[in-house]
Amino acid sequence: MTPLALEEVTFWYPATETPALRDVALEVAAGEIVALVGKVGAGASTLLLVAADLAPRVTGGRLAGAVRRRARSGIVLPTPWTQLSGMAFTVWDEVAFGPANLGWPGHEIARHVDHALERLEIVSLAARDPVTLSGGELQRVIVAGLLAMDPDLMLLDEPTAELDPAGARSVWRLLRLLAGEGKAIVVATSELDAVPDVADQVVWLDDGAVRAIGTPQLLAEDAACDDGLGTTVARIWRAAGLAPPYPLTVADAVRRWP
Amino acid sequence: MRTLHPFTLLAVAAALPALAWILPAPGGGLATLLVALSLTLTPGASPGPAGTGISRSWRPGLVVFRTALFTAAPFWLFLLLLHDVRTTVAIGLRISTMVASFVWLAAVLAPDRLVEATVARGWSVTAAYLFAATLSAVPVLKARARRIVEAQRCRGLSPRGSVANRFRALRALALPLVLSALHEVDERTLALESRGLVSGARRTSLAPPPDRVVERVVRWGLLLLCLAALVRRLA
Amino acid sequence: MSAALRLDGVGFSYGAVAALCDVSFDVAAGERVALLGRNGAGKTTLVRLVAGLLHPNAGTVWVGDWDTGGRAPEELARRVGSLFQHADQQLFARTVREDVSFGPRALGLPAHEVRRRTEEALEALALGGHATQHPYDLPPALRKLAALAGALALEPIVLVLDEPTAGLDRALRAQVADALREHAERGAALLVVTHDLAFAAETLDRGIVLDGGRLAYDEPLAALLTSAERLKPLGLVPPTVAALSVALDLPGRPVRERDAAHTLARVAGGGPGL
Ligand SMILES: Nc1ncnc2c1ncn2[C@@H]1O[C@H](COP(=O)(O)OP(=O)(O)OP(=O)(O)O)[C@@H](O)[C@H]1O
Ligand SMILES: [Mg+2]
Repeated sequence: MTPLALEEVTFWYPATETPALRDVALEVAAGEIVALVGKVGAGASTLLLVAADLAPRVTGGRLAGAVRRRARSGIVLPTPWTQLSGMAFTVWDEVAFGPANLGWPGHEIARHVDHALERLEIVSLAARDPVTLSGGELQRVIVAGLLAMDPDLMLLDEPTAELDPAGARSVWRLLRLLAGEGKAIVVATSELDAVPDVADQVVWLDDGAVRAIGTPQLLAEDAACDDGLGTTVARIWRAAGLAPPYPLTVADAVRRWP
Repeated sequence: MRTLHPFTLLAVAAALPALAWILPAPGGGLATLLVALSLTLTPGASPGPAGTGISRSWRPGLVVFRTALFTAAPFWLFLLLLHDVRTTVAIGLRISTMVASFVWLAAVLAPDRLVEATVARGWSVTAAYLFAATLSAVPVLKARARRIVEAQRCRGLSPRGSVANRFRALRALALPLVLSALHEVDERTLALESRGLVSGARRTSLAPPPDRVVERVVRWGLLLLCLAALVRRLA
Repeated sequence: MSAALRLDGVGFSYGAVAALCDVSFDVAAGERVALLGRNGAGKTTLVRLVAGLLHPNAGTVWVGDWDTGGRAPEELARRVGSLFQHADQQLFARTVREDVSFGPRALGLPAHEVRRRTEEALEALALGGHATQHPYDLPPALRKLAALAGALALEPIVLVLDEPTAGLDRALRAQVADALREHAERGAALLVVTHDLAFAAETLDRGIVLDGGRLAYDEPLAALLTSAERLKPLGLVPPTVAALSVALDLPGRPVRERDAAHTLARVAGGGPGL
């Protein structure tokens, strides 16, 4: 059973005539990471809201097609500073906010919260007031808040936008780890160079529609490079006039290099 | 003060204005106002409710006291324009009691504790959250206003100097404040839903505030006091 | 020549949390500087100090010949344009155009000058198509651009920008890069806080790294970004181009895409395709 399946989904935000998503079909399996790539406004964020059952239920608007969700989902919004509960004086309580709403017993909550804080490397912030954190510290707290709820389907919108490069790396590694534990993960990101090492499947969105679905190799193709979606290595290879297929990553390039 | 049960805080903040209106003017109003103002000065009135952008700016003692006075001041002006001195004093004291009690409440009532307490009493999470959020709306608004003013100052708008300057700054603040508050409602709903705060959720009480016997007695006592005063007044 | 921005032994603490400690550096007019460092290193604090929203506990921040200590943010706005990390907290007007023109109007500039600056800033970031929209109706990435346009419209001598490219796609990043280069050429000093080291490499020349509130490095970016061992303890990782240069041992260790492509083409014996 797939945790998430979208069948010909078209979605309109309230009071708009052009749909933000058109005829999107997508399946996400347990243990799989799907990366959504595209230009700003291509529909990745909307797709995540639909997958999270927030659109149209909370946002309003209209949806055609079918969304099948057979797992509990959790989402990280692209603006972490708006995702604080406003009900917690400490980082620990903030991370515990979600699990508490799920009605788990206290010791279960504590276990998940502590584990999430460790995984995001923010144990030392546990007693801090969330509203005084730096941007990246806050983003880690929000991601930890998702992790602590232990959803089977994790939806993340630009989860590394404010993380330092080492922190971003460890979040990407963490996602692989979680997929290994059987989570289904959908992540929208503009950090294209991270995608090859993270994603099993890449969905290229263009103007609300799926332009292509495939392996990360997609990001080394001419079409993607033309649209600004090639990885840096592929773009350099191409710009240097070297023959395709272009390498995707630095490691690929080294293998290819005489 | 923050260690008191949220219901006790609510009871005190409700009883003071009630008594202010029930007891004969101006003595009653004066007494309740004095009590309310001295509450604002208690050191327990410390950190502000956590919420979007409010940190520890809501400090104990003088700041809360000053806020209470500044918020109450305009009412006196209006009253004086509308009424004679005697009525102004009578109503002014009562309104000031209400204002001071509310400002004090907003400063001491931690919304998370209120949610815990109400959920422990069997309220639904969403209702509890809404209740707590309403009571902490003032400091949240204040924090948002501060952010907008900061952004505007960085773009060259001065909120200081002449009266005309201040007025201009106030006008520039008003609309964005309302609009961003409306916008935030949407964002907040999305955020809370995403964190599992859906109607019908059975929230685990992480640390239900202890409700001591003394506090129950105080609450019932306050209620009886108000009733007694009312009966006396009507009799 | 005197510096556009100078920090002299600057320290700042939030109560017990020391955020910056003895930080000193100069940025000259037209210079393009990246301010790097791990989460919590003190970068945003530094931006707020330069904008006058905070005042240092120790040392002095100079903007030209102004000591920011005695000046309000609205006064500094004549010389400093700033972009906040959470830019949507910086937008407050009903339309993007109105928001961008807020600064020039507040500075009391004549109407034609307000118009010129507003339109130029909108154009520089290709926001013309969104000018009549409400800022909140835009996706977060475009809100960031709108706030940046507002800072550019001040035409300040110092631009301090906190994470201008977070969440932006490649085209928008290039747009921001072009706009910043143009302002630097016109003499603005750029201090750009960013975790996007690829963007930093393409757009900026000098790197200042903070670590635990202290200045760890201040040197040409290209040298810094190709040195994985030095970056590692600072929470940084070489961006892809730098990593590629090192991995393939490209001569000159280019850190910008175009340079890398040229070098690669030369080394591989083909013709450059850029
Ligand atoms: N209002 C505050 N009260 C207490 N501590 C604070 C406050 N604001 C920031 N800090 C702390 O000061 C340090 C520096 O914060 P700052 O926001 O400058 O970091 P930063 O370099 O911008 O990090 P990031 O990359 O995550 O945005 C951090 O440890 C942060 O937790
Ligand atoms: Mg920061």
